[in-house]
Amino acid sequence: MKLGRLSQQGIVFAIFIAMFAGFAIFLHGFATTDNMLALLQNVAVLGILGLGMALVVIGRGVDLSLIATLAVPPGLVLQMVQDGSSLPVALATALLLTVAFGLVNGWLIAYAEVPALFTTLATGLFLAGFGQALLFKLDVVQWSAGLDGFEKLGQGAVLGIPMPIIVFAITCVIVAGLLTRTRIGAYVYAIGDNPNAARATGVPTRPVIVLEYVLAALIGCLAGLVMAASVNSMPTRIYNSTWIYDVILVVVLGGIGLSGGRGGVVNVVIGTLLIGTLLNGMTIMDMSYSAQNLIKGVVLLAAVIADSFLNPRNEETAQQGDI
Amino acid sequence: MSENILELRKATKVYGGAPAIDEVDFELRRGEIHALVGENGAGKSTLTKVMAGVVNLTSGQMFVDGREAEPRTPLEARHLGIAMVFQENSLVPTMTVAQNLFLGQEAFYNRLRGIYIAAQQFLQSLNFDVTPTATVGLLGAAKKQMVEIARAVLHKAKVIIFDEPTASLTPEEKKYFFDLVRDLKKRGVSIVFISHALEEALQLADRITVLRDGKHVVTDNAANFDRARIVQAMVGRDLSNTLYGKRKSTSRPAGERVLTVQNLKLAPMVKNNSLSIFAGQITGVFGLVGAGRTETFKIVSGVLKRDFFHGGEIILHGRPVRYLVPAPAVKAGIAYITEDRKVEGFFETMSIARNIYLGLLAKFPRGRFLLSGREAEKAGQDWISKLNVRSIGGKAKVVELSGGNQQKVVIAKSLTQEPDLIIFDEPTRGVDVGAIVEIHELINRLADEGKAVVVISSYLPEVMALSDRILVSRMGKVVEEYSAAEATEEKIMYAAIH
Repeated sequence: MKLGRLSQQGIVFAIFIAMFAGFAIFLHGFATTDNMLALLQNVAVLGILGLGMALVVIGRGVDLSLIATLAVPPGLVLQMVQDGSSLPVALATALLLTVAFGLVNGWLIAYAEVPALFTTLATGLFLAGFGQALLFKLDVVQWSAGLDGFEKLGQGAVLGIPMPIIVFAITCVIVAGLLTRTRIGAYVYAIGDNPNAARATGVPTRPVIVLEYVLAALIGCLAGLVMAASVNSMPTRIYNSTWIYDVILVVVLGGIGLSGGRGGVVNVVIGTLLIGTLLNGMTIMDMSYSAQNLIKGVVLLAAVIADSFLNPRNEETAQQGDI
Repeated sequence: MSENILELRKATKVYGGAPAIDEVDFELRRGEIHALVGENGAGKSTLTKVMAGVVNLTSGQMFVDGREAEPRTPLEARHLGIAMVFQENSLVPTMTVAQNLFLGQEAFYNRLRGIYIAAQQFLQSLNFDVTPTATVGLLGAAKKQMVEIARAVLHKAKVIIFDEPTASLTPEEKKYFFDLVRDLKKRGVSIVFISHALEEALQLADRITVLRDGKHVVTDNAANFDRARIVQAMVGRDLSNTLYGKRKSTSRPAGERVLTVQNLKLAPMVKNNSLSIFAGQITGVFGLVGAGRTETFKIVSGVLKRDFFHGGEIILHGRPVRYLVPAPAVKAGIAYITEDRKVEGFFETMSIARNIYLGLLAKFPRGRFLLSGREAEKAGQDWISKLNVRSIGGKAKVVELSGGNQQKVVIAKSLTQEPDLIIFDEPTRGVDVGAIVEIHELINRLADEGKAVVVISSYLPEVMALSDRILVSRMGKVVEEYSAAEATEEKIMYAAIH
């Protein structure tokens, strides 16, 4: 089992190296400083989202509403500042909205026991619709003067390293610390591995699940803030894109089994690098949107199939039958 | 034409090393009603599943109508004229009676009206009072069973096998069912049925076969049997089997009353169950499957969900309690060690040490926000040596261990929580012989240390060997209590079956 998981990480990392080298040699315009920066920037936001997704997937859940938390609370910040609020007030409001949203998700999944897939599909739709219908005046919320200085979160750099990369790195460290060093992390793995056993052992499974979704929503919001700061606007229609699939792709390709209890931050980083390189290379090759989708679809399918072979769930072996 | 419609010779089925049935000979005569009786795990279900093609023999032969035949699937069995009516019935609840009857035999195009008319005529020919247009899901248990039987007859079954046919029926429905079975017999159908209710077997069957521990004990005409003889045949064990052979000579006195359960209800499994558990002794809880033992103690420990909690009182150390989830019960010192360790026992991707450490984290979270690798390692090593878990070290994953060692890890995870009421549910199920002895010693040690210990078991010798006090459960409540000294296998079995 351990061998299989290692080899999946290894394989994905090797593919990343090969692809990167191939693009660098054969693809004109790939190995330029500008492109590297663009690649890393795109990758950073995707990677942050991947961390949020990883947190819930390890706990045997899934969060399809991540893109809604990426678009709506940060969009609200831009909108409120545009309408004359101060930045701290706007940020606090967005934070409140995000936490409330995470609580609703968590409560529905942990206490009302609605499957995570349906819950987050529905709440994501609701939040996106709520934002577009009631909060925002235009589809793209524009930057305004009150936000001056905040764009550094997306466009600044420390020691030549672009800010989004730094934010991604810090988030990685925090999530990794939470997962591997704290009791909460141990609970998340326990719930993902065997929710019934975790419950019977006395793990407070429901509060932990709620916490997972609140953290995921906060991470989604952070990703949105970084994105808005890098492009000086929030295109709220991004919710209608297929971005959520890229996020799932990152997590599953990286080797975090959808059956839960497996993988960690390293897997997200590897998955992010691979997907980032793939998307960037395809964009430079000027592939059509549909061809890109086709390739992403094939890659995701391959990853999910590999996942079910390498990390089989034990349900069928659990049945011993009546003698 | 041979006398026996169905015959098994030296039928053996081995599950993971242990034989479920062992060289069993069985003969079903043409047009007879044949009852199969025996304890849980005696091999009744396996034997009937072999006949119905659900399970395939490891060795041995099967003859249908004098010709050797080995049905590999239920469909092949059906072509041989053998049909089985399962405990959990296999009808599609959202379809009508008629649709269910003809399921799998539809023509390419079916006129609904045609099906209804055919079904109506067919049901009338059987004298079954079921409306063909009724939706099956809305029918009662007895009517569902009629539909199942009708389907078997429609498939021209020569042999119909029933697994616990009367378990879900009311007394009137039972009587009607008996008439149906006798009517089927008149039509030349041969019948095999499994029953825990001995009176039924005596009343309905022409012949009775008793199985014990996977072996054939006796087959005789029902007229030559009475209750006492059946019970005797069911439990009369070879006492040279020393593992369980030794009887308790002294029993521990009862200490403080730790747990009292009063009038606990959980439809349909637990019915007004009342019992008490005392410190410093082992209370064995015996009963057949479906007697509500596991459910009762799962409610006590908060494992069963509150939605199904239907009332009654649980008093722990003199205070009424009601746990909606296991966490507060664990905190209050109750440990429930599950009968199904794969489903709710251990964490398979984690190491032994991590499994045990999680028990510690869940019970004593204070001061443990940051994990300590050293503490986990130490807890793991401690328990591995204390319980003699055999593995390649604390880093080994639980899923790689044998059943006995997995069970020890699950026990260690609970014991590290320092409980004072420990409930073992089938503690030695799927455990190798060496580990059984060790687990039994551990259970005895816990009682000597003054803990209140409950052992739920369907295996009489285990209950007899361990318990200071034996509660017998039947139909959702405790019906008898024996001290270790006065208990005999016959008495206990007599109380456990109606």
